[in-house]
Amino acid sequence: MMSDMYNRLVGACHRKCIPIKYYEPELGKGESVCLDRCVAKYLDVHERIGKKLSNMSQGETEDLTKINLQDKK
Amino acid sequence: MAAAMEMSEADQIKTFKDFLVQYNKLSELCFNDCVHDFTSRTLRSTEEKCILNCMDKYLRTNQRVSQRFHEFQMIANENMMALAQKSGNPS
Repeated sequence: MMSDMYNRLVGACHRKCIPIKYYEPELGKGESVCLDRCVAKYLDVHERIGKKLSNMSQGETEDLTKINLQDKK
Repeated sequence: MAAAMEMSEADQIKTFKDFLVQYNKLSELCFNDCVHDFTSRTLRSTEEKCILNCMDKYLRTNQRVSQRFHEFQMIANENMMALAQKSGNPS
């Protein structure tokens, strides 16, 4: 699961930071900085979405328990 | 002992599988980015150069992303440990 996330991370940052003109084998300075920022942002997005999802599912379970309690009354 | 051998064989197969997936991905990426001209059967020297650069650059990209990724993971782990310690023994 982690490796899937990692592979997507590499794919996304390569697509967004490396131009498709391959004039040289080394990473340029701009490309390197872009990759560093890309990783930071990607992981930030990953974390935020994870939090949001877990909040949503928590809210749902709370709603469900409320409904169940009301049904019992 | 036999179980350990079997395990390592399964691991080897998995590693090889992962390698093949990476290999195919790299071929696809560099082919799509470098080869546009089909007026000849053979690769031009510019295409060949592009492909070699593409491969090198992709591997370097992967290396750099991996470094940063591990740094972030280490920091996240440290934060988790600190948090666990804080909630574990409230002073």
